[in-house]
Amino acid sequence: MDAYLIAIAIITAIYVLMALGLNLQYGLTGLVNFGVVGFFCVGAYTTAILSQKGVPQYITFPLAALLAMAFAWPLGLVSIRLREDYFAIVSLGFSEVVRLVATSEGWLTQGVQGIPGIPKMFGTFSGTTQALAVLGLLVVFNLVAIAAMLRIVRSPFGRMIEAIRDNEEAVKALGKDPAGFKIQVLVLGSALTGLAGAAYAHYIGFISPEQFIPLITFQIWMAIIMGGVGRISGALVGAIILMVFLEGSRFLRDVMPFISEVAMASVRLGVVGLALVLFTMYRPQGLMGDFTRK
Amino acid sequence: MSGFLELAISGLMSGLVIGLAALALTLVFGVARFANAATGDFMTIGAYAAVFGFTATGSIVIGGLLGLFIGAVSGVISYFLVFRVLEGRPSVSALLASIGVGFIIRSVLGVIYGHGQQVFQLPLVRPWRYFDVRIQPNDLKIGATALLALLVVFLVLHATPIGRRMRAVADDPMLARVSGIAPRKVMFALWAMSGAVAALAGVLLGIRTVIWPEMGWEMLIPVFAAAVLGGIGHPVGAVLAGVILGVVQEIATPYVGFTYKLALAFIILLVVLLVRPKGLFGRVEGVR
Amino acid sequence: MSLAIQGLTKAYGGLHVVSDVRFEVPKGALVGVIGPNGAGKSTLFSLITGFLAADAGDVAFEGRSLGRASPMERARSGMVRTFQVPREFSHLTVRENLMAAAPGQAGERLIDAFFRFGTVKAQEKEIAAKVEETIAFLRLAKVADVPAGRLSGGQKKLVELGRALMTGARMILLDEPFAGVNPVLIEELSVRIRELNERGIGFLIIEHDLPALNKLVSTLHVMDRGELIASGTPAEVLANPRVRDAYLGGAAA
Repeated sequence: MDAYLIAIAIITAIYVLMALGLNLQYGLTGLVNFGVVGFFCVGAYTTAILSQKGVPQYITFPLAALLAMAFAWPLGLVSIRLREDYFAIVSLGFSEVVRLVATSEGWLTQGVQGIPGIPKMFGTFSGTTQALAVLGLLVVFNLVAIAAMLRIVRSPFGRMIEAIRDNEEAVKALGKDPAGFKIQVLVLGSALTGLAGAAYAHYIGFISPEQFIPLITFQIWMAIIMGGVGRISGALVGAIILMVFLEGSRFLRDVMPFISEVAMASVRLGVVGLALVLFTMYRPQGLMGDFTRK
Repeated sequence: MSGFLELAISGLMSGLVIGLAALALTLVFGVARFANAATGDFMTIGAYAAVFGFTATGSIVIGGLLGLFIGAVSGVISYFLVFRVLEGRPSVSALLASIGVGFIIRSVLGVIYGHGQQVFQLPLVRPWRYFDVRIQPNDLKIGATALLALLVVFLVLHATPIGRRMRAVADDPMLARVSGIAPRKVMFALWAMSGAVAALAGVLLGIRTVIWPEMGWEMLIPVFAAAVLGGIGHPVGAVLAGVILGVVQEIATPYVGFTYKLALAFIILLVVLLVRPKGLFGRVEGVR
Repeated sequence: MSLAIQGLTKAYGGLHVVSDVRFEVPKGALVGVIGPNGAGKSTLFSLITGFLAADAGDVAFEGRSLGRASPMERARSGMVRTFQVPREFSHLTVRENLMAAAPGQAGERLIDAFFRFGTVKAQEKEIAAKVEETIAFLRLAKVADVPAGRLSGGQKKLVELGRALMTGARMILLDEPFAGVNPVLIEELSVRIRELNERGIGFLIIEHDLPALNKLVSTLHVMDRGELIASGTPAEVLANPRVRDAYLGGAAA
């Protein structure tokens, strides 16, 4: 049971990291990133491929984040100046193309078979100690990320991105270029997502393209919308809600085995969709109530 | 050379499918001002409804009409339940909700039909040969159907009062709002038409390939690319751009491989956004 | 000459929304533009400030042609606009709205926000002092810590004016500053504008509320259906039969 709880906590921590990234992008800046899973995928594959070649993890983790940033930057340059919905669809397309490349370029990614045997984090330990060490590392990642978010929110940069979210035209009228801020935010948020991808790859130990479907992106969207858009605590609350939902649906199938895994996957999809629709319509401020800052 | 021509014809057909779906997307965009990410899923609904009708009656025409009808109904329902409520909110809300609507559609289809593939059990017809070029008779019928549908849509847009009102709203939403031109009726007609056109695209795609819950969702990027290339909100542009995209994708297949069709659409989208974001026929969008 | 509008033209389809409008705003002047609804006033503003691209014509500010300069570049050159429907940063407080408008902030660079904390803090203090002055001048002290989204329409217009002041603009373009504002606040706003003008800031004001504007400006330009139909002192312009016909006739209909 303890092992189960630790495992749940680790996955939740990975989701929190992604939710923090998206919260910075959408919650604080109003940037509609529908390609979250693409950056997650880049992070996961970067570390998996390098680890296979024997590169140590203290190098592959930063590289995973860096590569995710390196993809985010040109993507932002091309489309961030245009309408916000253009960027949304372009980022969605980006994540699909990333998955396509992971599927097709077998020489690099081993294609649909995926990459097995990715070394564990803290491989010198074993059992609960190892799991706790992993959890500890992820908690540290999250704490650093949260500290960085708080620093940003309280800085002039943070004030400006919130101004951009509230009214982009007015920012332009003051002589400041929203695009520059948005690109920085996209790149920084993607670093967190890439890092989350790396942690995921090493924790699960096996990655394949089908783990990186757009559903993942919108699960994170569901998390931040339910948890509270624009609030750092919202990322945490949302990730926990998401985890309860995912594990709950698994539990439901355990007690009702007559529901097929395929049907359950469809139901899960429907619940995510329903949550997106209903929360956007009736509770855009999230479960916890009013849209207040910080 | 004949191989090239066959690819071009095949591209023309898939281009018409993309063009129809892009038309559905651009119609909604022009009036409601958001990219409806569920456009692809309306295609899927149409295809499933058509298979159902076809299997029940044995008539592909009845099947297709059922697909159109269900597509129109789905469009109207989604407007009534979701997008009507979100009118006047930032376009991001409607966009996000449309993602959710698409998920719900795929979920329902997945629960009812599972994730297996279905096909239209149409009798195999020997292809015709002109000189060295093989032409599938079915392709000709698909092309004719698509063209007929486009004719109907443009007649509605240009020769009926409701179509003129739709275009007025698309041209200048502010002016239309001021003169009170966008009442519910126009919106219902718009969503019905968009749903039906998307559904038809789905039916034709289903006849040419296979039917499964993700078929429409997978078309979203090419469809959006076509809508942007054509100049978003521009109906003729969307169709022409769809055809161009379809032909380019098909002709490029021998070089880039079948799997990278989607990537090609994505690259074209990026290039258009870089070089000419208003598209081939679009106007520059000002500040609202 | 501070601002020269040189034949600005904009058409949608076949319809000329602004056609060949030209006039000048002398340095430190207080100039108004009036006209019936749909006369193209707001479009003219967007053309001047670069939010719309003109089909023809140019704008020169302080002797420099602005050509195809972006809205941001135009604002940075010292010419800042407000909006007809206020575009406040609704989740930021009034104080933060004004702080955000200050130019050249080191803390707006991500790297500096993280690593040059001392510099940023010193600069913030400087800006905060200037913001306090502006808030006091605009009589916004009572609402300084209220999110701007909760203010009244008139207060939001004051916040927009405050932001424009914080940028250090030498020319401020006000888009219907009196629309939807109660009479007491209109009077108050007029007084502030005149005070600022005396300090050397030029104003170009689009307005619907004629009486308020007449008392304020030295020169009035009248637009109708995209064209400039009259210019002069308020008294001259209002005596012009063409103006009476286009504007007052239109208002009576």
